[in-house]
Amino acid sequence: MEITFIKRFITTSIGRKAVMAVSGLLLGGFMLVHLAENLLLFKGEAAYNGWVDMLLSNPVTPLLELGLLFLFLAHIITGAWVRVEDFLNAPSGYEARKWQGGRTIGSATMLYTAAAVLAYLAYHMLTFRFTDHSMGFYQMVTYAFRDPVFVAVYVAGSAALALHLSHGMQSAFQTLGVNHPKYTPLIKIGGILVAVAMTGFALISVYYLLGIDIKAAQAGYNVVIIR
Amino acid sequence: MKGSKHFSVTVRAWRQAGPAEPGKMVSYKVKDISPDMSFLEMLDILNDDLLKKGETPITFESDCREGICGSCGLVVNGDVHGPDEHSTVCQLHMRRFSDGDVITVEPWRVKAFPILKDLAVDRSALDRVIAAGGFVSINTGAAADANATPVEKDKAEEAMDAAACIGCGACVTSCPNGAGMLFTGAKISQLALLPQGGPERAKRALSMVAAMDKEGFGNCTNEYECEAVCPKDIKVANIARMNREFLLANLFSKR
Repeated sequence: MEITFIKRFITTSIGRKAVMAVSGLLLGGFMLVHLAENLLLFKGEAAYNGWVDMLLSNPVTPLLELGLLFLFLAHIITGAWVRVEDFLNAPSGYEARKWQGGRTIGSATMLYTAAAVLAYLAYHMLTFRFTDHSMGFYQMVTYAFRDPVFVAVYVAGSAALALHLSHGMQSAFQTLGVNHPKYTPLIKIGGILVAVAMTGFALISVYYLLGIDIKAAQAGYNVVIIR
Repeated sequence: MKGSKHFSVTVRAWRQAGPAEPGKMVSYKVKDISPDMSFLEMLDILNDDLLKKGETPITFESDCREGICGSCGLVVNGDVHGPDEHSTVCQLHMRRFSDGDVITVEPWRVKAFPILKDLAVDRSALDRVIAAGGFVSINTGAAADANATPVEKDKAEEAMDAAACIGCGACVTSCPNGAGMLFTGAKISQLALLPQGGPERAKRALSMVAAMDKEGFGNCTNEYECEAVCPKDIKVANIARMNREFLLANLFSKR
């Protein structure tokens, strides 16, 4: 059996980057779906818990979770590998060094935002996934969103995620060889839009922390209030 | 003729006696500089002064001095190839500086390009990438009529844009990771875009990328600093094309 082509995805610079790009794009797609799930909070307890119950009772869900874990591991391992090599080979020792405008805040901070997102993910797993769910998922989430510390972590984590994707989304397309004057500008705009969408996780938590739901209801708007 | 416009600068240059020797920045005063001189001519004058004083002149590379050979390459005041956009350092002129300026001159400082002496570095890593497949080796027989192989005008232009790469190494130097991907991308693209490069494109992409990896370049993180400094304005679309060529060759060729 010929496996050289599989090896090349691990042993070559472009192969590793392709793995990082594909896993990154799929994770980005997951984040969009996850954000949409979060929006169910606005529809109230029944809608939110109904969705969670559907996921938990679905036999495919554990497989999807495993797939997600695999994507995260693939992205983190290839990303770390690429970065360690870059660190070892980077130009160094310049007395003076100027950047020429190619770099962006997002691209220059990829490693730091990656670390921040990983910490955010760990916090999120510990507080929502590997925890006691007896109070019900909707209650658990909304209770957490009234906690300033919790919301602060969410705001910082989402900001890091947005910054990460502001470079990552378009970078992934370039790595996979998808670059053309016709659609590269659209990819860049799309990447920024996905990045901006990530602030949605923070905005939802801030919405509840500031009690906007209560104020909106008092003003006569038809919104779901959490207790 | 000495005009009133002539001025003096202080050059702070990297001096290193050999590949394994420690190096340091050394300051030199250079007087009577004409604004019409090129930057390299100013270094020539400095070297003449050093020779007259019995000191070792500063080693730096140059050949055509008209921006087309890729021999020269210096980091001037932190700018790769100097402050002018998309230009080689031999095309930099002293009119860009003023009397009393302190000018920092450093060599390419990348792992893949070890310093030989002073400002001269060994860029043979790029040659080895080319030797791995940056050519057409099929037997083409006697010279055919130029119009026997149809090439679309836009494709020809695109291939020429990639072929404009002079292999100076500015892309590697400017890259935050010391990656050689703009160079390799351009060299793969110039052949991938033309029918003559077609028969060997899979083999070429796989072996040139393997050679590039072997030379100890970093990985591309798509920051596009290379495109910003390239004297020949080579576009990062060439890196995407290399990625495409490599991934398609890996998945769909028999190699």
